[in-house]
Amino acid sequence: MFERFSHEARLVVVSAQEQARERAGDSIRSEHLLAAMVLGRPNPAAVVLKSLGVDGAVVDAEIGRLRPDGSPPPDAEALATLGIDLDEVRRQVEEAFGLGALERTRAARGRAPRGHIPFDRGAKKVLELALREALRLKHNFIGTEHILLGMLHSETGAAQQILASHGVGLDATRVIVDELVRGQQAG
Amino acid sequence: MTDATKVAAAASSRDPAVGLAAVASLRVLLESLEELQVTNARAQGWSWQQIAEVLRVSRQAVHKKYRRFGF
Repeated sequence: MFERFSHEARLVVVSAQEQARERAGDSIRSEHLLAAMVLGRPNPAAVVLKSLGVDGAVVDAEIGRLRPDGSPPPDAEALATLGIDLDEVRRQVEEAFGLGALERTRAARGRAPRGHIPFDRGAKKVLELALREALRLKHNFIGTEHILLGMLHSETGAAQQILASHGVGLDATRVIVDELVRGQQAG
Repeated sequence: MTDATKVAAAASSRDPAVGLAAVASLRVLLESLEELQVTNARAQGWSWQQIAEVLRVSRQAVHKKYRRFGF
């Protein structure tokens, strides 16, 4: 399915694997595609995102708040419903094992995977939807801008949530992308 | 228990979203605590057998889980 991908789009797919590895992910997820987009080589999607106020630093910070498997860290509020005071647990642990001990464990950080890292369902969906977005806009290639649009569908995972929380939605971005591509073709 | 904890515990109810999220968070916390304790035990010279007995799991289970830590 990659034959119609632009050079930049291929680079994003490849460096998403690096992003997953660096972030100790056991699969390549939508947020890794997003990180590859804004932290790698310049590309149209990064330009669109920058114009919407989302850059590498923003995405890096947002992903840092996710756990390596894409789920949130132990949630003090959730534990409080069981009568467990996470701050108190942390205090006791740090008394015995030093400052930050609880966060330093591999269980808390996730372990760095080796070898091939597969795409998870959400990331696969992003790439499928990228193709569909390109067809819909009658573009004859799949670029990073189409991957971005694929990412903005709700069923694809954390990237969509991160972007939505920064006010980036599908319909408005579609208009921007279409204008961008038509501008390139006209110029 | 702090006041906040009491309030939250009272609110735990039978809502699956609340209950399941609590279990998920507890699991992450449990794994971190176990890792700290096993690391500490090994650093103090405990054998896998000793650790397994206190954790009430098999020696193989604890060894398999933590041998990649390199101790």
